[in-house]
Amino acid sequence: MSFPVDLSVDFCGCRFKNPFLLSSSPVSNSAEMVERAFQAGWSGVVFKTLNSDRLTITHPSPRMHYINYGAKRAIAYQNVEQISDRPLRHNLLEFRYLKKHFPDYPIIASIMGFFEDEWVYLAKACEDNGVDILELNFSCPHMCIEGSGHKVGQAFHLLERFTAAVKQAVSIPVMAKMTPNITDMTEPALYAKKGGADAISAINTVRGISEIGRKDWVPRPNVFGVGAISGTSGPAVKPIGLNFIASMAKCRELSLPLSGMGGIETWVDALEYLLVGATTLQVTSGIMHYGYRIVEDLIEGLSDYMALKGVGRVSDLIGRALPHLQETDTFELNRQGIVQYDLDVCIGCGQCHVVCSDAGGQAIEWNGRKRRPRLIEDKCLSCMLCQAVCPVPGLITFKEMPAGWKRRETAVKDMGLEPELKHAPFTKEGPHECVV
Amino acid sequence: MNPAKHFKQMRKGLDLPLAIAEADRCLLCHDAPCSKGCPADTRPAEFIRKLRFRNITGAIRTIKENNILGGACGELCPTHRLCEKECSARFISLGRPEGADRPIQIGKIQRFLIEHSWQIGFKPLRKAAPRFEKIAVVGSGPAGLSCAAELAKGGYPVTLFEARPEPGGVLRYGVVSYRFSLEFLENELRDIADLGVEFTCNHPIEGPAGAENLLKEGFRAVFLAPGLWAAEALVPKAQPMPGVYSSVDYLSALRDGRFKETARRIEGKTVAVIGGGSVAIDCVESAARLGAKDVYLVYRRSYAQMPAEADERMEAQATGVHFLLLNQPVGYVTGRGRRLKGLKLVRTRLGEPDASGRRSPRPVKGSDWVLNCDVVIEAIGNRPVGGSPKWYPRVKLAGHNLIKVNSKTGQTSVRGIFAGGDIVRGPALVVQAVADGKRAAAAIQRYLSR
Repeated sequence: MSFPVDLSVDFCGCRFKNPFLLSSSPVSNSAEMVERAFQAGWSGVVFKTLNSDRLTITHPSPRMHYINYGAKRAIAYQNVEQISDRPLRHNLLEFRYLKKHFPDYPIIASIMGFFEDEWVYLAKACEDNGVDILELNFSCPHMCIEGSGHKVGQAFHLLERFTAAVKQAVSIPVMAKMTPNITDMTEPALYAKKGGADAISAINTVRGISEIGRKDWVPRPNVFGVGAISGTSGPAVKPIGLNFIASMAKCRELSLPLSGMGGIETWVDALEYLLVGATTLQVTSGIMHYGYRIVEDLIEGLSDYMALKGVGRVSDLIGRALPHLQETDTFELNRQGIVQYDLDVCIGCGQCHVVCSDAGGQAIEWNGRKRRPRLIEDKCLSCMLCQAVCPVPGLITFKEMPAGWKRRETAVKDMGLEPELKHAPFTKEGPHECVV
Repeated sequence: MNPAKHFKQMRKGLDLPLAIAEADRCLLCHDAPCSKGCPADTRPAEFIRKLRFRNITGAIRTIKENNILGGACGELCPTHRLCEKECSARFISLGRPEGADRPIQIGKIQRFLIEHSWQIGFKPLRKAAPRFEKIAVVGSGPAGLSCAAELAKGGYPVTLFEARPEPGGVLRYGVVSYRFSLEFLENELRDIADLGVEFTCNHPIEGPAGAENLLKEGFRAVFLAPGLWAAEALVPKAQPMPGVYSSVDYLSALRDGRFKETARRIEGKTVAVIGGGSVAIDCVESAARLGAKDVYLVYRRSYAQMPAEADERMEAQATGVHFLLLNQPVGYVTGRGRRLKGLKLVRTRLGEPDASGRRSPRPVKGSDWVLNCDVVIEAIGNRPVGGSPKWYPRVKLAGHNLIKVNSKTGQTSVRGIFAGGDIVRGPALVVQAVADGKRAAAAIQRYLSR
């Protein structure tokens, strides 16, 4: 493995040793923690969101829950975590400590205010104490204080005004953090850009309900008999995060550097975020589950992948999936295929038969004596559900059929009912888009 | 650690998270082969699927409805040659004929679900409308319990006659506590008693035509499942010899209140056990656990021919038992007062396969020797209690005083009398006895509905 690989990235004028940062959360609550994270290999931190000491921040208890899937623990986390409950002075001292001892590790301060003066106050306090970049938290989905967090992220003019106010007050770069609890993220992102934002980060947590107690019917976390719709994070939300990063990366009008997050645990997740356009990557849930040590595998895994692939720099990966990401109306529908089976490695579980019968094209017959499937090729929908359940990797693959190959029509159960049919063909002409 | 307590404690079963993790590995096969591998039709594919979809009560119901001794079978079945042998999760294919993974631990999941039912107090079984035809079941071992429970579910009044002081048969008097505890047995028995089965213990059905007379005493059908409680002996018809026990006596003694006395006789002694089956393994391993100085398993064939399960054999070796293979016991050496001093042995070599398909042991001339020992336990086979055919004189017998039945119904040659378990099969598995009981119960209900 002699191919030289450089994991460093430039983001908002700062150089990061690698793209992996702590995101603003419990994992970045104190300098003591961040110091250990840096020592483990994280290249920077978005420190837990600061407040101005004007309002007392008290955390609900308990503050987190999780979603298990079968025996797999915590495929998602649920939290009612608030912004930092530490005095601002303490947090600023922590910045001083980190800048003093880790000068090569950029500090991004996350802040959240309620009105312009408060945003400005926090921004200046950060800049004055050595912070490299600001992240404006427009996106916390469950603040105990009405009118804050994602409520701002959903009120675009506020978002623009607060961004502009901060930009005018400080000279360091400003990044706006977006809520995914919205249909189209490019819209608020463009407002942030209008306000002067230098970068966008996404996603904050997705509003959700993790679990409801079967004994007490209280959604979790159960805060003394009350649950709340709150932030869901972790591997389960990765598709949502990729969607928003990709959409913003494809938006030419936006053209801002992106910091991606949402369900990143492995270098494979990280790679996917890079390929859809993120430059830096932030992690919380993966650390909440496994600790800071996962960065070792993020770094090593991504480096080896790049070396094997012959990619020398992370920037050569950023956005490389975007040309292949298009709307469904661009698909070549005249090209069709089916699955093919390597029965030499089949173990005879028959799950393919079950799913094809009940959710596919009824294209897989079952030989009970031999315990093997048999494919009826012209009924195969190429839905790939059989591949999804097949326990043997590589047994079921997709193959394109020659031009002109036709799939059999789904049979009507009883054509004998035709005389009773009430049906006239639809004949009106109309546009190929929805209009009122 | 208290050795007696250690001896009586069963190994720990799965808990809910471990059972769920195991169910997660299940491939949920179509037309599942594991279910076809269960003689009693306990339907593992169904209860594992139910567990997988968090229908835990339903999973318990599936087991309980199909195998009233689901807990015992989960623990005691040689699952690796029944349900688990058929498991697709072993990943056996043309490409990987030796397989690539372990089967789902079906027995462990099954045991867990039954223990879980006790923990949460879930009793899924329902009884049909009451019937009035009284039925007698003779013997409260697995076959008798299974038949009685099945008929009780069908609404029939069932009386279970047991010769010994307490019910359970081989599950009480024939297994060792660290494999299957009395507490576990009591839980299984309570579920059967809850169905209304009347247990009548200390009540042997014997004497001339004693079993057949039950039909005259108001019972409309009789199920015979007395089991095999006489021991084959190395020296037939010999007088009792201090220090020589049959496996039947020895294993019973460890369960029926003579534990301390038996433990005292084993501790610090040299013990030889004759035999190569599962019972012999229980004897050697228990003797080792009770603190015997040396324990020998004496077997006339070799390791590969032993009828004991592979895992049992390895476990016994790990416990420190000496396997004395290719040695045929031929008699005893005694001292004053017929007190045992040693076991006379002759070395063997393996010849051609015999009727059982295993290579037969041939004595090596002039190789006689004596293994000095304080205790010998003979585990060389069980047979029906002597004279038992007289209790049912009209019932046709097969060889070795076993009862001949229609294999589909358990019906004997006498109308109204059915039989199952070891008295029909010879030594067999608990799960096969359960299957016999179920089959006969169905046949009895058909017989009574005519």
